[in-house]
Amino acid sequence: MGEKELSSIETELYDRQIRLWGIESQEKLRAANVLLIGIRGLGSEIAKDILLSGINSLIILDNGTVTKEEQLVNFLLTPDSLGKNIAKSVLAKAQALNPLVKLTADSDSIESKDEDYFKQFTIVISTKLSTDEIIKISAWCRNSNVKFISGDVFGMFGYTVSDFQDHEYYEDRVKLPKKRRHDEKIPKAEAVTVKVQARIKYPDLSTVIKRSKTGKMKKCRNIYYYLMLVLLEFRNRHKRDPFYTKRQEDLVTLKTIWADISKDYEVDSTMLTDEIFGLVFGEVVPICSIVGGIVVQEAIKAVSGKEVPINNVFLLNPLTYYGKEETIGIV
Amino acid sequence: MATSSAIPHVLSENVREAVANCNVLVVGAGGIGCEILKNLALSGFQNIEIIDLDTIDVSNLNRQFLFRKEHVAYHDSITTVEYGVNFYKNFNLVLNALDNRIARNHVNRMCLAADIPLIESGTSGYTGQVELIKKGLTQCYECQPKPPQRSFPGCTIRNTPSEPIHCIVWAKHLFNQLFGEDDPDQDVSPDTADPELAADAGKLALSEQNNSDGDVQRKSTNLWAKEIDYNPEKLFNKFFQDDIKYLLSMENLWKKRKPPNPLAWAEASSHEGDSNMIIENNSKTEDMQVWSLSKCSKVFASSISVLKAELSNKNFLVWDKDDKPGMDFVTACANIRAHIFSIEQKSRFEIKSIAGNIVPAIATTNAIVAGLAVLHAFRVLGEELEKCHTTYVRQKSSSAKTVLMTESVLIKANPNCYVCSEKPSVNVSVNVDSMTVKEFETEVLKKNLNMIAPDAMLDGKNLVVISSEEGETEINNNKKLSEIGIIDGSILKVDDFLQNYELTVYITNYVPKDITEPQFIVHGNTENLRPIEEMNGGGKQDTNTKVEVVEPQSSVDDPQEGSSVKRRKLNPAEEEDDDLIMLEDDDD
Repeated sequence: MGEKELSSIETELYDRQIRLWGIESQEKLRAANVLLIGIRGLGSEIAKDILLSGINSLIILDNGTVTKEEQLVNFLLTPDSLGKNIAKSVLAKAQALNPLVKLTADSDSIESKDEDYFKQFTIVISTKLSTDEIIKISAWCRNSNVKFISGDVFGMFGYTVSDFQDHEYYEDRVKLPKKRRHDEKIPKAEAVTVKVQARIKYPDLSTVIKRSKTGKMKKCRNIYYYLMLVLLEFRNRHKRDPFYTKRQEDLVTLKTIWADISKDYEVDSTMLTDEIFGLVFGEVVPICSIVGGIVVQEAIKAVSGKEVPINNVFLLNPLTYYGKEETIGIV
Repeated sequence: MATSSAIPHVLSENVREAVANCNVLVVGAGGIGCEILKNLALSGFQNIEIIDLDTIDVSNLNRQFLFRKEHVAYHDSITTVEYGVNFYKNFNLVLNALDNRIARNHVNRMCLAADIPLIESGTSGYTGQVELIKKGLTQCYECQPKPPQRSFPGCTIRNTPSEPIHCIVWAKHLFNQLFGEDDPDQDVSPDTADPELAADAGKLALSEQNNSDGDVQRKSTNLWAKEIDYNPEKLFNKFFQDDIKYLLSMENLWKKRKPPNPLAWAEASSHEGDSNMIIENNSKTEDMQVWSLSKCSKVFASSISVLKAELSNKNFLVWDKDDKPGMDFVTACANIRAHIFSIEQKSRFEIKSIAGNIVPAIATTNAIVAGLAVLHAFRVLGEELEKCHTTYVRQKSSSAKTVLMTESVLIKANPNCYVCSEKPSVNVSVNVDSMTVKEFETEVLKKNLNMIAPDAMLDGKNLVVISSEEGETEINNNKKLSEIGIIDGSILKVDDFLQNYELTVYITNYVPKDITEPQFIVHGNTENLRPIEEMNGGGKQDTNTKVEVVEPQSSVDDPQEGSSVKRRKLNPAEEEDDDLIMLEDDDD
């Protein structure tokens, strides 16, 4: 089997998606090497969708241990995995999703990886990282033109942030012929598909997710951008996410952080309500399913260079399920 | 209880309790269905039932992650009788994950009859939709008529093709004529009743033909093929040479069109210009490249010999896009005919898309839609049905920033819907002196009005004219409607006990002016029952005898068109303010 050519097994297996994004995109996926950092609720969804897309290889990196809570929300875990390394525990079920992908587990910590490690990948996808880790790794990726996307789910809320650097892409636009009078004798002009090329320059993530204390940041009209900042700050401080068993104390912390951030950014602090803060506990599986789908769709766009990608933040409204792109940061 | 903590803690107590105790039904275990089942199970739902009517195929496997290769061709069918209204009443909630309109219509009617909330979902490529359907609260699946499937006049298919799809439809009909079940609507020979033919020219051509080889022309194609033992050369010369010559004799057709060029077997199989084609024996090239004419004729012959052998121990074959010889045959025939009519030829891959009516599907959109479906389920269980606003998954474009879009209100039912309104009724205009009772049952009640087992009674006379019980009304089958008293102004009370559905049908007599007019017209009481034009439209609205492009039996990968993405303007939620108007991303 050649490295680039798709086999007949692959063209058959991926038939329905090749009919959407074309053989060229499928060949680019076929050549892509992907790193997935974090294989919890959202990570398991990302692993599923990216494996099904037909990439060349996937490394799952996570040094965590399987807990009872994790077993409940992670469909890649088996009952006998309790107490074991989580990356290794998902391997069997993950590989069964697509035997054609070279899949490995890495139980090292993210701190043990240096800049060189990230050079081998086409794209790095991360979940559950702190602000500093996201900024560090995405900067390394930037140095080697490795695409980067990060996502998280907090209860009913979720987001993604991407750095596809200087990203060139194309889309097929269908141009419909101008409408003619009903005259059968004139042959109808068929709709033509034209390839439209474009490029997006992504801002460095340090200008996107880092809390600005200068007050000079451009305001974002989407209030959930600030919810993302609050939750990342919570994670940075506590080395964990808000958890339902500590609901009362976590709510107090979240609101304290929000009071600071709303002051720094000069936004109305009543915009994030108690109702919203009450919705950020745990990784809600259907939300993981949605955000995982968005992350992988963006990863596929990054790898294939086809279709307009989200530039550069996606925010899911936990009350209405609106999901919107926001362009944040300084290019 | 360990499992109960799988229920999200952010949900209110009453919802968490309902999740643990409710009974849910998932209809369909395809791409979306698998995702929904996973989400339900991991969200702590305890009682889940599944019905599925699909065959798992290799090309579905990469989305149906609950199944493995060893499950391929495992077939689980449902008989609708077993799953009656009482079955649906066992559930608190039904989630649809279907891929075709017929099944969606059915579950819609069952849930309306059982008064159970239905969460309907669908995807097509990058787009998708989730909506709640609840009797008395929202519109139902059939409130907005869907645009009809694209169809073509018989004479375009048989006489004057101008697009690749015309040749592909013709090739599928040819398959059925040679190997399939007899269907007079799928004739492939020249159509002398073409309205374009000035009376003289057509009749002349017809009489000439009858004097010479007209016999062969008029005989059943199927019988003749058997007589000549499916000799590929003879078949080829008839369909691609003699029939084309005959078409040329209908001179009126070619006054303003480029005439076709008859092609003989000998010429095609040694067609020049093919020598510089690189013939690679590689699946990708085989599928993606347009075959040369000599390759088409080779495949024509080889696929016929395989199909002939397959037919030897069966009454007839059923065309299936995933059946190699059938697909090869259609590719070859469509391209040979396209060549004859100077129409662009297509690769096997492209022809498969068109002939099999394949809707592209991807795992990511399925995952997103399934996530939304289960979020809707939480709301239904929390008795927040008013908040279950339809949500759309949209493709990101340079002008549209919203990927997930939610309506700001529930979409109200169409008061004249012939399915969910208080007293459903329709007007049917039909020629009562020419349509038979059987045709009325099949074409109008079943195919158009989506019934499964209708009983019809002539109002005022208490006369049962159509019965779903075997042996009761067969005697009426071949009678014209007027012969049994169905005339202009008649009222029929139609009842489908399987769907618990009653419909009043008002009959108007209508005589089509010529054959370009439809055989019958079904319309609601008001104008808003007309289909709203879809963006990727149902194509041109030709009339005449409709030639269906989609075979009703090809349910495996039917378009997931049930998702009514873009079928109407949205009522965006207030919060969203900047990109609302750009819903239909029109770029010029």
